[in-house]
Amino acid sequence: MAHVFVRPGGEGWVCPKCSRPLGPVSVNVEYMGASFMVELPGCQSCGKVLVDDELALGKMLEVEKLLEDK
Amino acid sequence: MEHSTLAAFENLCAQDQPPACQGACPTQLEAGRLADLAAAGQFAEARKILERHLPAPALSARLCEGPCRVKCLRAGLDEPVDLPLLERFIADHSRPGRVFPLPKTGHRAALLGSGLSSLGLAHELAKKGHQAEIVHATPLGGWLAELGPADGPASRPFAGPAASPASTEALSRALAETLDQLRSLKVAFRSVEAFSPQLLAQLEEEFEGVFLGLDDPSVTAAVLGLPELDSDPITMGALRPRLFAARLDPATPFASAMSSAKKAAGSLDRLFQGVNPATAREREALTDSRLPVDLSDREIRPLRPPADPARPQAAEVQAEADRCLRCACLRCLPPCPLLRSRRGHPKKYAREFYNNIITAFGIRHANLAINSCAQCGLCGQICPNGFDLGQFAALARLDMTAASHMPVSAHEFALEDLTSANSPAVAFARPQPGGSEKCRRLLFAGCQLPAAAPEAVEGLYAHLCRHLDGGVGLMFACCGAPAGWAGRPGLTGRTVEALRRAWAALGSPEIVATCPSCLSFFRQEMPEATSVSLWTVLEALPTPAGAQALDAPMILHDPCSARLDEPSQNAVRSLLARLGQSFREPRFARRLTLCCGYGGLADQANPALGREYALQRLADGPEPLLVWCVMCRDRFRRTGRASLHALDLLWPRKPPSEALADPPQGLSARREARLTFRRRMLAELWGETPDQTPQEPEMTVKLDIPGSVLEDLESRRILTSDVLAVLENAALNGPTFVNPETGRRLACLRPRQVTFWVEYEVRPDGACLVHRAWSHRMTVPGVQGRGEESPASLEGFARQGGRV
Repeated sequence: MAHVFVRPGGEGWVCPKCSRPLGPVSVNVEYMGASFMVELPGCQSCGKVLVDDELALGKMLEVEKLLEDK
Repeated sequence: MEHSTLAAFENLCAQDQPPACQGACPTQLEAGRLADLAAAGQFAEARKILERHLPAPALSARLCEGPCRVKCLRAGLDEPVDLPLLERFIADHSRPGRVFPLPKTGHRAALLGSGLSSLGLAHELAKKGHQAEIVHATPLGGWLAELGPADGPASRPFAGPAASPASTEALSRALAETLDQLRSLKVAFRSVEAFSPQLLAQLEEEFEGVFLGLDDPSVTAAVLGLPELDSDPITMGALRPRLFAARLDPATPFASAMSSAKKAAGSLDRLFQGVNPATAREREALTDSRLPVDLSDREIRPLRPPADPARPQAAEVQAEADRCLRCACLRCLPPCPLLRSRRGHPKKYAREFYNNIITAFGIRHANLAINSCAQCGLCGQICPNGFDLGQFAALARLDMTAASHMPVSAHEFALEDLTSANSPAVAFARPQPGGSEKCRRLLFAGCQLPAAAPEAVEGLYAHLCRHLDGGVGLMFACCGAPAGWAGRPGLTGRTVEALRRAWAALGSPEIVATCPSCLSFFRQEMPEATSVSLWTVLEALPTPAGAQALDAPMILHDPCSARLDEPSQNAVRSLLARLGQSFREPRFARRLTLCCGYGGLADQANPALGREYALQRLADGPEPLLVWCVMCRDRFRRTGRASLHALDLLWPRKPPSEALADPPQGLSARREARLTFRRRMLAELWGETPDQTPQEPEMTVKLDIPGSVLEDLESRRILTSDVLAVLENAALNGPTFVNPETGRRLACLRPRQVTFWVEYEVRPDGACLVHRAWSHRMTVPGVQGRGEESPASLEGFARQGGRV
């Protein structure tokens, strides 16, 4: 399945549990009963992902509002 | 919502009603648009309007007597607009446009005579693709030569000065233009010796419809062997189903000929299609306009007839066109940011709101607009028919929440604030200290004022206890109005029920409401309680000893929730006068006051528009604002305008001149201030130690949030308590990510339907320096959540009869 959005970044951040730098991780995000695949920077061992402020207040907010109006 | 509800609301808005002149015009000419173009000197464009509306436009434009002038509202100021002058000038100074008729239908009609009605009808039928044949017994348009200078627009007994007639030369040219146009439209002409009953019978046999153009002197009932004709005023039908006749008014022979042509064209068209000619003709009738037009600020500009009536100059005609009032009713738009934002009248919004509600699939585009209405009632007060868009928005919101279509983010923060304010850790209700458990009165302090002006509330409460008999209780809670605005009847009901029990436990006292929104909410939701305004109570008491006026004039702003509460408005003014406070009334005051943007939670759903609401008030002048609702005070302060609450003068915490510099209170500070108010009041007045009040969990993390970061948090509606919860969790379970180069950490937590992220560093002293924080609603795997917090805390508030 294609990613609805792909967010690069996460440079410099490390997962403290796995001691690994972040790399692209595909995850399923959900809102208002809709779910879709996105690619976010995250820990490729434990799967934890980072949602940075630019994404949260930009594209993600846009999609949230769209789903709320749907 | 039923469609009938929409229809009832829509009916109130008369904005799309035709203006008076259009209602009086047999061709329903868009005179305002014509005047717009003529005033701008765009005569060729204006000609297109004439071509679209007038039958045989070249002639009609020169002959119309202008019955519109009888109804022109300009007559109420000076003189009606001389529309006939405009029409003639436009026709004289532009070429006839090309007509693109519909494909031929093969239907045929015979039109007797070559009067204006027949020529006009031929033009109308030809446009529709029908074949018209003009049967004439005298030279085409011969009747024009018979016209004297007293005919046409000049002679008609209208309210205004008579317009000048068209010149003979212009009329000849108009006839030539008309006949050329008709020929190009393939209208046929048949010359006969004379009209007779036999000829009529023959034509009725030959054609599907026959029209008698009685404005041609050679066409008369007698000549055709008919009894006196009185054709139907709507269809022009006469005597027989396929026979039609002009219906002429001696006062306006040309306008009535034009009317006859238009109506007969509609009838013949219906007849050709096998439809009853009387079907669906309502819109063609002359109407008295329902359009309300405000003439109060219109300039008096009497008519200035052209210096040479036979040769009017373009500048003279443009000036006359500019006198048109462009009648429209948009009076509710200027003071409302929502209506202004999309330049739409309430009827259009109501339709959009309704369509939004009935949308089963797809995007509901009007969600934001519905939630951007401040429900302040101003449009309802301004509208001559009382159209209150806020009432409609309230119904729409109820439908949206019932169908689970309300965007979660629209009101979530406000509702969470309500729940927090009414939690046992914050809300309280107590009888007067040292008195009976039952009180005669209850000061309902609301949830915002005690946090935003705690000293004033303390002073006020002491004042009431001192001067009023029978005991005065104190209740600190949210009335539930935000739940009502958000369209949440369940939460509204639960909140009111909890308050009702607390109120009953205090002996069902008279409620003295400090906040105008609480007051109107109680009057609506708790009609069994007597609710009065704080201001009318204070008016009857002595002025408090420490009260101080600001030594500068202020602008008095009435809260929108008190727009109909004249006793409170008067009481506030009387208190201010007694205090010696100098103030002036703004343009929109009392019944017509503006909303600060808090009303209807407009600012919650649409912060940008919410700010527009508040900014409107600043246009009244540079003076500080004096308000009597604390939300207004803080919202005006947020725009940068110094604002004081009347209680800031009656129980000043500091000299009013210094209080002018007070900043608006932030969301986190307000939450904190509520706890402080509760703690202090309960300890000082009721001697309750913190042990008797519910304890907050002990926090181990110390926060350091720089001012600029705090501002970002406020605009993102992230509370410092949210940040603290994230960092407390990180202290226990470790941060989500770390950055070894910068030493910064990232932590996230999803305590409710929102995930919070905080970027921070731990300083050597152990405090967490917050660099950034943000949030999102989408769920992302791997984010730790905390059990959803129960909003049932109100139940506890009620169970204990208010003593919590």
